[in-house]
Amino acid sequence: MEKISVKIDGRTFEAAKDQCILEVAHENGIYIPSLCYNSEVASSGGSCRVCLVEAHQGGRMRLVTSCNYPVRKGLEVKTDTPLVHRIRRGVLELLMARVPDSEAIREMAAAEGPTDVRFRLDEGEYDRYKCIACALCTNVCADVVGVFAIGMVNRGADKKPDTPYGKPSDVCIGCGACAYACPTGAITMKEKDGVRRIWGRDFDMVTCSVCGTPYIPQAQVDWIVRTTGKDRSFFDKCPDHR
Amino acid sequence: MGAINTIEQLEAYRQEIAAGIKADLPTVLVCFGTGCQANGARPVAEAFSDIIEEQGLELNVNIGIKTTGCHGYCENGPLVALQPQGILYLKVKPEDVAEIVEKTIRSGEVIERLIYQDKTTSDMVAEYSEIPFYKHQHRIALRNIGAIDPTNIDDYILAGGYSGLVKALGMKPDDIITEIEDSGLRGRGGGGFPTGTKWRSCVAVDSDVRYVMCNCDEGDPGAFMDRSIMEGDPHSVIEGMIIGALAMGSHTGYVYIRDEYPLAVKNLTSALEAAREKGLLGESILGSGFDFDIKISRGGGAFVCGESSALMRSVAGEVGEPRAKYIRSVERGLYDKPTVLNNVETWANVPEIIMKGAEWYAGLGTEGSKGTKVFSLVGKVNNTGLVEVPMGISIRELVENIGGGVLNGKKFKAVQTGGPSGGCIPERLSDLPVDFDSLTEAGSMMGSGGIIVMDEETCMVDVAKYFINFLVEESCGKCTPCRDGLPRMLDLLTDITEGRGGEEHVAMLEELCDLLTWGALCGLGTSAANPVLSTIKYFRDEYDAHIFDKKCPAGVCKELITYAIDPEACTGCRLCAKNCPQECITGERKEPHVIDTAECIKCGLCRDVCTFDAVRIS
Amino acid sequence: MTDVTQFDSIIDRYERSEESLLAILQDFQREFHYVPEEGIRRLSEVMEVPESKIYAMGTFYKALSLTPRGRHTIKVCTGTACHLKGAPQILETLERELEVKRNGTTTDGEFTLECVNCVGACAMAPLTVIDEEYHGQTRSSKIMDIVKKRAES
Repeated sequence: MEKISVKIDGRTFEAAKDQCILEVAHENGIYIPSLCYNSEVASSGGSCRVCLVEAHQGGRMRLVTSCNYPVRKGLEVKTDTPLVHRIRRGVLELLMARVPDSEAIREMAAAEGPTDVRFRLDEGEYDRYKCIACALCTNVCADVVGVFAIGMVNRGADKKPDTPYGKPSDVCIGCGACAYACPTGAITMKEKDGVRRIWGRDFDMVTCSVCGTPYIPQAQVDWIVRTTGKDRSFFDKCPDHR
Repeated sequence: MGAINTIEQLEAYRQEIAAGIKADLPTVLVCFGTGCQANGARPVAEAFSDIIEEQGLELNVNIGIKTTGCHGYCENGPLVALQPQGILYLKVKPEDVAEIVEKTIRSGEVIERLIYQDKTTSDMVAEYSEIPFYKHQHRIALRNIGAIDPTNIDDYILAGGYSGLVKALGMKPDDIITEIEDSGLRGRGGGGFPTGTKWRSCVAVDSDVRYVMCNCDEGDPGAFMDRSIMEGDPHSVIEGMIIGALAMGSHTGYVYIRDEYPLAVKNLTSALEAAREKGLLGESILGSGFDFDIKISRGGGAFVCGESSALMRSVAGEVGEPRAKYIRSVERGLYDKPTVLNNVETWANVPEIIMKGAEWYAGLGTEGSKGTKVFSLVGKVNNTGLVEVPMGISIRELVENIGGGVLNGKKFKAVQTGGPSGGCIPERLSDLPVDFDSLTEAGSMMGSGGIIVMDEETCMVDVAKYFINFLVEESCGKCTPCRDGLPRMLDLLTDITEGRGGEEHVAMLEELCDLLTWGALCGLGTSAANPVLSTIKYFRDEYDAHIFDKKCPAGVCKELITYAIDPEACTGCRLCAKNCPQECITGERKEPHVIDTAECIKCGLCRDVCTFDAVRIS
Repeated sequence: MTDVTQFDSIIDRYERSEESLLAILQDFQREFHYVPEEGIRRLSEVMEVPESKIYAMGTFYKALSLTPRGRHTIKVCTGTACHLKGAPQILETLERELEVKRNGTTTDGEFTLECVNCVGACAMAPLTVIDEEYHGQTRSSKIMDIVKKRAES
């Protein structure tokens, strides 16, 4: 793999060409906050805008999202400038106004300074709860799991992840990847008496024959068996007792 | 005649068409643009057909009737032009047709009632080319519009169409690009990026597949040149795209077109079919061995799809969300292949540049903005319509000379350019030359060329609110600053227009403008500040009047105005009282009426119906 | 079970490609005056495209509606020129007289009231498009007469 050197906050690092700034920074112990990006999910990133940094190249400076800006030869990145902090604070203030219940957003904002929200809180048509509409959940469902049970619906301020028509999805396998990936814990997944409830649908859980813990939805097992040809008996035991 | 297989055959065919037409044949050109059709052009054309059929023998001449694309002077439709006389009749009704045939066509007499009369000088002008609206124009992109039937490919070929393609087929692809580079042509869709440079970057990328695309998702409210070109001269765009494809070695083209333009979609569809039939599209164009065809993709009513990356996703059958353009679409565009996207007007210029040469084109316009630009002059102006003039013309010339000044003799306040990404330029700067760089410097932008004239009755805070509201509805919702910042801006502007504004409102607006400019993902968000910042910059007094005096000087913002009847002007005709939905206007017949302001909902119906201009806003 | 042939006859007009999805949805809209849920499901099956993707398109593009529209559609052009020349008053009058909010349908199912972003006929501002008919220089005091006339036709 082609290696290039890139300057971040005055220090020079070696990086793989086309690696994103955020990863190079994190690998080298430079913190840049991020919400909508997950390195395992190819299509994620670019939407929440909290990871904006200054990219200087060819005598030009612009703010770029470090999660999807590929490092190139001669690139100089600044993550700790007044402009970066000003815009990041602005973004976080908007997010706090949108989802006042989210601890994750509040904590991130507190790290940036004042946490008061001057804007009127938005009363949308639906309960936004903690969702910042970053699309990480739908990207996980599509790119990683591959079932496309949820998608980003509507536009503008009403954009949100949902199943078609908000009805329990036929194709959802109840795997919960969306809930695990969500940066603000906005997706409710509850388990009770061997039944998991997510996106309005109940999933019967398969119980581990050793420890008796319900650990995977039957629908997910069916789906793995169908798509990979794995033997069904494999799922008799939970990962801890296989 | 079927497919044309060689360049020589095309020239022979052109001569064949010419031979079939007598030069002095009287021709009636009825404008069939969206505007004229809505104003009743169809019955006028039918009346001509009927009368010609009826009087056919008696007249003893053939009359050609052509339904053409938009002449641009939509304010005065339906428009009928007569050739060879070169006369233009305005606001023609079916009942005028017999007289036109009788007087003008048979005896060459001009019907004064139907010709243009200058609103300020009262001069009567019959000749098309002498009407001030047309006189100052220099038509390149609009060269054929109004003169040819867009549904007849022969018309286009006769007018010299596809000659640019013939010439290009004899050129090296690299030389075609050089020609476009040297012409100085910059993208007419808004950004003003040099077209030749774009093409050059596209061919520099190693790939076996490339796409050329045409953006006809004309979204800027108040701009309709792309609609007009697609309706009136679709072959000019097709020819431009074929030349571009030839230069870049592309075999597939796409036109992304607004579905809200049904006539444009129809005329483009039939033009593509005609071009295929004639061998101008498809395999081995004109026997050259070069294959290229064009697909149509209809937009779904989303302004953001005018943004290149969103447009490409929409073409591919997805939600039209933009993506970060850290890798440009000339490198990785549609289906991640090198893609050149130009707008309708840009493509329409290409054949002419190839035909007449880069030097000719570069000789027009200004240093940084070459050639001509089509503007749509709309709003509070006397002559509304499309005008094509060399770049660098001043705003004042546009509004006063071509536009005939502000409507109803009101005071000229500002022009808005560039749609929701642009800004408002005040009257005192109207000697500013209209070109890409001057407009940007003034805090606005060229955009696609909409020029919206505003008068003293236009509230600039309301205009800013209008555009932000537009953007709130059109934001795709992907990035935080745009999705959540714009509604906050709208809240602040609504507060100001409803009398709840404080000093801090303007500061907070400026802060949000800064956030969007730096932080938003695509052009929709990064340019959203312009309508707000430009109005704050040039019309701060109006913001202050709303905030501190709780007044709307232009009399627009409902919460800050009251309606009253001027007893001097009121004749007591009762019309307002009859129309008032609140039934809150009282008064005896022939006595001055009074509005009960406590009940009044400020709907404005009374003012709308009053023929004595007695209802006043204060 | 819904009759899928009505959807298939539209789907069959187009290439089996994701590029055709938006066009097919627009044709559904034209044919049924909205995009029916069964139509999305059928399209998903035939094209082998996830339903969530097509549904997302249905919610994103303004030209598509997921709920049935009225017998007539009134579109008030809210382009800039129309805005300056009185479109807000026209919209307000229609909302008041028809007792419906924008993007809503009257309770009798007769009219759907929509706004459209500039139809490029600014010379006729303010403009109202009823079904496919353009009405230029509309005035708030006359708009209801035009609408009533349309209802009778």
